[in-house]
Amino acid sequence: MTLDIPVIETDRLILRGPRESDFEAFAAFAASDRARFVGGPYPRLRAWGGFLATYGHWALRSYGMWMLEDRASGTTAGRVGFIFNESWDEPELGWHVYDPFEGTGIAYEAATAARAYGTRHFGLDGVISYIDPENARSRALADRLGAIHERDGTVAGHPCHVYRHPVQEVA
Amino acid sequence: MTGHRDIPVLETKRLQLRSPRAEDYPDFKATFASYRSRFMGGPLNGYEAWMLYAAEIGHWEIRGFGMWMVHLKDTGETVGMAGGWSPAKWPEREIAWIIWPDRAGKGYALEATHRVRRHFYDDKGWETAVSYLDPKNLDSIRLAERLGAKKDHDAPTVDGSDVVYRHPSPDALRGTQLSHGIDMEIAHYQDPLFKPKGWAID
Repeated sequence: MTLDIPVIETDRLILRGPRESDFEAFAAFAASDRARFVGGPYPRLRAWGGFLATYGHWALRSYGMWMLEDRASGTTAGRVGFIFNESWDEPELGWHVYDPFEGTGIAYEAATAARAYGTRHFGLDGVISYIDPENARSRALADRLGAIHERDGTVAGHPCHVYRHPVQEVA
Repeated sequence: MTGHRDIPVLETKRLQLRSPRAEDYPDFKATFASYRSRFMGGPLNGYEAWMLYAAEIGHWEIRGFGMWMVHLKDTGETVGMAGGWSPAKWPEREIAWIIWPDRAGKGYALEATHRVRRHFYDDKGWETAVSYLDPKNLDSIRLAERLGAKKDHDAPTVDGSDVVYRHPSPDALRGTQLSHGIDMEIAHYQDPLFKPKGWAID
């Protein structure tokens, strides 16, 4: 079974489709307090469903989220990419960084690469990001990415800020 | 890319089983928004239904098997889903089915599930399979019994609130009275609401 999920390489990361070996890192994040900004914490079975849905999103939308693999150690470092679930206003760019990699700047590195790839290959430009108002780190990253707090909205029933990314200059 | 490549197409007399695709999602959503889905974790809101549908496809990717979308050969309409299901840390691989509420009672679940079971046994080399059923879900228990499955009191359940039905082994379905019986039931299905066209001759 293989979906055509593209691979993107950056200085420190490989962005690739999910593998079952990513699930433990995914589930640990989903069960942690840090998942409170993305609708969690989730019990393990819900996390499993969310993990499988990462694949299904690619099949249904032809784009989706990549798992981040730390080049140096091979460890699963997070998940970044495009999400357009039912009830979303439009496709969003999302990022999750797993525990030991928080604060290392990889979310910026991955989000920049994913955003550029989306513009070039998926026709996704000037997308939004839904961010929990309490999630200061994520808002700081949105600022750093040049996104603007456009309005307040809701995602999956949770109130959130809607950030708008700048339209990209495609090289 | 609107579905998954590499998912085999299975056929029966009346049905074609195919990869779940984006265009089939509204049918899935309608059923999982309804009371019909109460034994499968529902009813679900739109977001939850979408995530589950995406997970149905992801299951194929990670396990190499999953749930097929069941279509009528005649019209192409979908009537439900059937296939295999194996979440992380579940005791065993499951054979599962769901038929849309307005399509129930036509024998589609028996026909589709019998076909996917044969695929798992003959093409994928499974030696056994179970179905985890809600003890209140009498329709599904009855179907499990028509498929020759028997309640397995010793097998571990998913979470203690379900009952385990064990399917007959591959050997018990090869040219046996049991498998002929199931084939006959499928082949001789008659719509109880069937009304012949025209007038009776006598």
